[in-house]
Amino acid sequence: MYRYTEFDQRFIDERVAQYRQQTRRYLAGELTDEQFQQLRLRNGLYIQRLAPMLRVAVPYGTLSATQLRALADISRRYDKGYGHLTTRQNVQFNWPTLEAVPDILADLATVEMHAIQTSGSCIRNITTDQFAGVAADEAVDPRPYCEITRQWSSQHPEFDWLPRKFKIALNGAAADRAATQVHDIGIRVRRDAAGQDVFDFLVGGGLGRTPAIGGVIREGLAVEHLLTYLEAILRIYNRYGRRDNKYKARIKILARAMTLPGLKERVDAEWAHLQDGPGTLTAAEIQRVKAHFAPPAYAQQADATALLAERRLASPAFNAWMRNNVAAHRAPGYAIVTLSTKLTGVPPGDVTDVQMDAVADWADAYGHGEVRIGHEQNFILPDVPLGQLPELWERATAQGLAAANLGLLTDMVCCPGGDYCSLANAKSIPLAEAIQRRFDDRDYLHDLGQIDLNISGCMNACGHHHVGHIGILGVDKKGAEFYQVSLGGNAGDDASLGKILGPSFGREEVPDVIEGILDVFVQERREAEPFLHCVRRIGIEPFRQRAYANAG
Amino acid sequence: MPTLVKNLGVARDDWTLLEAPVAPPHVPERAILPLAAWLEGGAAFKARTDMGVWLAGDADPEANAAALAALPLLAIHIPAFADGRGLSLGALLRTRYGFGGELRAFGDILPDLAPYLHRCGFDAFVLADDRAAHAAIEAVGAITGHYQASATAPLPAFRRLARDAAEGVG
Repeated sequence: MYRYTEFDQRFIDERVAQYRQQTRRYLAGELTDEQFQQLRLRNGLYIQRLAPMLRVAVPYGTLSATQLRALADISRRYDKGYGHLTTRQNVQFNWPTLEAVPDILADLATVEMHAIQTSGSCIRNITTDQFAGVAADEAVDPRPYCEITRQWSSQHPEFDWLPRKFKIALNGAAADRAATQVHDIGIRVRRDAAGQDVFDFLVGGGLGRTPAIGGVIREGLAVEHLLTYLEAILRIYNRYGRRDNKYKARIKILARAMTLPGLKERVDAEWAHLQDGPGTLTAAEIQRVKAHFAPPAYAQQADATALLAERRLASPAFNAWMRNNVAAHRAPGYAIVTLSTKLTGVPPGDVTDVQMDAVADWADAYGHGEVRIGHEQNFILPDVPLGQLPELWERATAQGLAAANLGLLTDMVCCPGGDYCSLANAKSIPLAEAIQRRFDDRDYLHDLGQIDLNISGCMNACGHHHVGHIGILGVDKKGAEFYQVSLGGNAGDDASLGKILGPSFGREEVPDVIEGILDVFVQERREAEPFLHCVRRIGIEPFRQRAYANAG
Repeated sequence: MPTLVKNLGVARDDWTLLEAPVAPPHVPERAILPLAAWLEGGAAFKARTDMGVWLAGDADPEANAAALAALPLLAIHIPAFADGRGLSLGALLRTRYGFGGELRAFGDILPDLAPYLHRCGFDAFVLADDRAAHAAIEAVGAITGHYQASATAPLPAFRRLARDAAEGVG
């Protein structure tokens, strides 16, 4: 993974000092709440319902074991002993004090971490495929380009005061695990016929109040143009994006107003000035960053086929975990393991300091000291030798991190909701738990197959409800919490936005509604047809009828 | 009292910013006119060398770039401190249209915006008061090395560092 140069480290250290000075001025009364808000947001600090919330950047979801231990330590010293994995692959702390944040940032800087631009109207953490670099279906490792983009977007002189937040995702595999179609900019990295890395750029996707699927604005762009092309898009957005209404300020609204061809014309005209200028990447720079992501030395592993077969026969729980949570690795003898945080009764994405330390230890013991965070709010160990899977599974089970539900209904994506967030209309965590409790039969869940259930507590869509196969959105009706249900959304290769069933439901009705939807699916599905496919085939009407019948 | 920072020092402001258009014969010396008023003044205004122009953040200077670039002073209005349009506009005037005169930001300017303004080519900004002016000057030096090319760094860090390494400079 990427290690800081002296230049990188100095930038982070000076940023900490800068933020410390900003905090001091605020506490001394030299900055108003409104002024300081903009400054703290650019350093990941929200003022929440109960306490400040600090969002630490985990660039493209990659952590070292050392960094994860540092996060565990911070959660012990400045928080209540836990952290929360977010849908942007970051880590949030819900209980630090405003005064302590500069010290937390200084601690983070000692392990090459920061909270820069994890909130606010600026370019946010760059995200990617949580299996990047190890996935069997990967054409190009996107991480070097993520890192180059991270550096370029850090305190950009022009683009730190945008009309609205700006999210960039890169994906380099056959499957789109980075949801590139629902980002302000989605970049698909691939290898062209000549064997060169090239980018396809999508613009104007996004969730929130007006969900939209991004459109292709450029295909086959040579890698050296990455930053100048980004600059062209961002400059057009910064100059012409709406600032009069924050709900119409994302680039998707500009793309709609200009039309995609219109926006492309403006971007290309701007790029004509920048193309081949000093911002053009050099081969040496690409090579320098790529060297940080060179594959580790994978050892020849003893054949584990017999061992795994025997253990799978002996333990249905291990068998289910192998089936759902272990993915194919590009190196023979290795696997990618997802450690689910979605144990019933635990808020999705919440992890304790003890769990963080344990995962760090496993990353060292069963891998090359590296951990990933996926946008589905789970931990990933990217390099586990097949023969060590049974041992890892036992240890993960003891830590409550071996729920074998990856990709299944109970592996839901969920924002912190009204329990923590001051923006939320409704709570999301108790609802997630109620659904997990209703559907806790492993065989039933497995028979249902892949179902993405996403819950957001409000229109801001941090829980990505629009792209859940089943999406649930918290809404406020005259001060009471209600939930709107949609079906047919998808974040993957053929992204789509869910269709709303109809009027919203009370919280206690939602498990019955979900049960009704699943009953219709079981009745209507053809053989092993996936849920999403079934919804697309028969439409939402049969589901709607049963849902409202069940809600009584 | 509004305080002008120029070339990273507090300076006396000897220009007059005119909010509204003024009839040509009555334009005082060293006046900063709204863009529309300056355009209306035609050749008579363009001939004057003691006149500046101010632009709104959403202005498109492209059509008049050459004439604007010849002026001694251009000012850009920042209507709200989190409104970054002026940064792009300033950067364009400095780096694309070759404006070499005083580039000034005025309006709702937080001291913490000063580093961004400075890097986008502004050499003057009007702060709310003397304390804010000094905070702005201090803020500009807070971070000594940035990644991107800008008006103050013609090369991005990756080119600068590679060149320094090749030349054996620490």
